[in-house]
Amino acid sequence: MSASLARLRRNWKGYLFLIPVFAVLASFKFIPFFDALRMSMYDWNGANVKSYVGLANFKELVRDATFLDSLGNVAGFTFAAVIIQLIVPLIAAVLVFHVTNRRLQQFFKVWFVVPLVIPSIIVFLTWQWIFAGEYGVLNEFLKVVGLESWTHAWLGESKTAFTSIVFVNFPWIGGINFLLYLAGLMAISGELFEVAKLDGMNAWQRFKHIELPLVRSQIKLILVLTLINQIQSFENVLVLTNGGPGTSTMTPALYLYIQGFSYSRLGYASAIGVTLFAAVLLLTWVNQRFIRDTDKID
Amino acid sequence: MTDRKTSWGVYAGLVFLLVLTLFPFYMLLISSFKHFDQMILEFWTPSFPLHGDNYASAFRQIAPFIWNTVFISSCIVVGVIIISSLAAYSFVRFDYPGKNALFLLILSLMMIPGFLLLIPQFMLVQKLDMLNTYQGQIFPPMAFGASMATFLMRAFFEGIPKSLLDAADTEGASEWRIYASIVMPLSLPVIATVAILNFLAGWNNYIWPLVATTGDSVKPVILALSTVTGTLDQGISVKLAGYVISSLPLLAFFFLATKPFISGITSGAVKG
Repeated sequence: MSASLARLRRNWKGYLFLIPVFAVLASFKFIPFFDALRMSMYDWNGANVKSYVGLANFKELVRDATFLDSLGNVAGFTFAAVIIQLIVPLIAAVLVFHVTNRRLQQFFKVWFVVPLVIPSIIVFLTWQWIFAGEYGVLNEFLKVVGLESWTHAWLGESKTAFTSIVFVNFPWIGGINFLLYLAGLMAISGELFEVAKLDGMNAWQRFKHIELPLVRSQIKLILVLTLINQIQSFENVLVLTNGGPGTSTMTPALYLYIQGFSYSRLGYASAIGVTLFAAVLLLTWVNQRFIRDTDKID
Repeated sequence: MTDRKTSWGVYAGLVFLLVLTLFPFYMLLISSFKHFDQMILEFWTPSFPLHGDNYASAFRQIAPFIWNTVFISSCIVVGVIIISSLAAYSFVRFDYPGKNALFLLILSLMMIPGFLLLIPQFMLVQKLDMLNTYQGQIFPPMAFGASMATFLMRAFFEGIPKSLLDAADTEGASEWRIYASIVMPLSLPVIATVAILNFLAGWNNYIWPLVATTGDSVKPVILALSTVTGTLDQGISVKLAGYVISSLPLLAFFFLATKPFISGITSGAVKG
């Protein structure tokens, strides 16, 4: 007891150094977090109406056609993004990794990263222009190659809007995942490739037997990051389509924003947030278990 | 690695992918110098004369908002560095009850997604009378950056020899002196990482300012882009020039400090 008191006397200053960070975190994360949980059980317009309604918001949510549509959309976006993000940046990273000239390798690495440094909203706005019906880059291209009949108002038609959103950032390399893969490849011991060369492995065998197995932890990380990011995605649809036409590109996070700030249904919007948060937690948990289990098998 | 020559297939593939990746930005750049008639006649190639007036009028319209963004992002960076380094110093230097629990608490706050906090933070900022202010756009993003920064800084501070700090202690230096004149100057690499990470995030912030600002006085440049307009002759090119202008500062930083930028970006991703 007295030992721990002595320890405390020597170390109490440690708490002082923590005060600023906890002041900020408590006010702007911790308290708002519990506010969100509480508000999801209120009918609240932010001004004069505020009444406790229990689970009514959640009951309404499971019957809300727009919300259900948005769940379907986010599942589709997530599925597409996982496939794309696991494969395409890996191909680019493997290609860059096999450039033996160091300066050229650095050149490709740096220029593939450029889209990441451009503010994401500007990337979205640029793609909005690419997909535009009049004088849009894609339509002009189709006219040049004689496919005038294929032109669309890509973001304005419910048939094409969803796919167009998926194709934003095509060819999907300029991102963090490319860098993560490349860092993983760089960490592989050079001796392995010497052995592979002596064994007469071709590029595909080398990929299958060395590179792919050794970037497995990056693959898992990217899977988790893509899942979590996609569930939260709404800046892209907010800028490009605002969820339309109809509900064809609506996502739950965008629906939360619209319910909260366009319709002032703060309680209902919080219920959407809590539901999404539960989904993120569940996914993280499943992933943790899944990852731990595969590690055990190894 | 190996002494083999890189095959032509690798180069062909890379050049093809790189051209596709950068093509939108090529179009953006060449089109931002055109007038409406040039857009129609020469869509795919640079067209002369280059119209710098697009840039002049775009800059006139967004200059005050660029200043807002620079100010807000810089304050976020400084704030995050101060609060996170103090916390990291505490975790590395002291040994007190509940230390690990408090560290885990800070980390676990990273799990709370931004959209869940959007509405309660808005209500809070409204209650504090910070809507349409700089501080309203500085403190909430600081809270989002602080967990990651504390994590990165703690890891870096662990690498500073304890004997160095203890020696300063026996010389009679106060904890504050040890923090400010020994630990911080030795930690410039991690400070750079945290700064880059938060500056990028600050420049990119879109939803929060959209919610927390209404008028023009403190609006960041990203929000101002939608209101940029040109004359009939200039067409949409003024808008495109605005996109280029607001990307340039980050691009300039990136090419000046590529290495810390890339390591900053990658260490920011590994929080998942």
